[in-house]
Amino acid sequence: MAESKSDPNKVWPTGLTEAESEEIHRHVIQGTQIFGFIAVLAHLFAYIYSPWLK
Amino acid sequence: MIYGKLWLVVKPTVGIPLFLGAVAVSSFLVHYMLLTHTTWLPKYYEGGMKKTAAIEAPAETAAAPPTTLVAAAPATK
Repeated sequence: MAESKSDPNKVWPTGLTEAESEEIHRHVIQGTQIFGFIAVLAHLFAYIYSPWLK
Repeated sequence: MIYGKLWLVVKPTVGIPLFLGAVAVSSFLVHYMLLTHTTWLPKYYEGGMKKTAAIEAPAETAAAPPTTLVAAAPATK
């Protein structure tokens, strides 16, 4: 029978375990969210104070 | 977290710079194309448009009082 649940201590070819991969991904997602928030704010200011879309 | 296992098959030392580089290159290209393909963005970055407009088009002011009498109050005794 095939293994349904992967071994949490298995080191994958990238050198990471599942927990480490999930941890890195949390930081990537959080960084993307912060970047996105700043970008939305910058576009809002550009819309208000520049001739963009006017 | 969805796609949390991505870094088991993609080396973070490759994937993260690739991701950040793609974001940087694409956003730079969008803004560069706006700068080179629109008329309003270079003008806006040039600056000083408000000042120039104010100097070139001064407010209309009367140089002398009007010479034609349009109406006058009735004479009183």
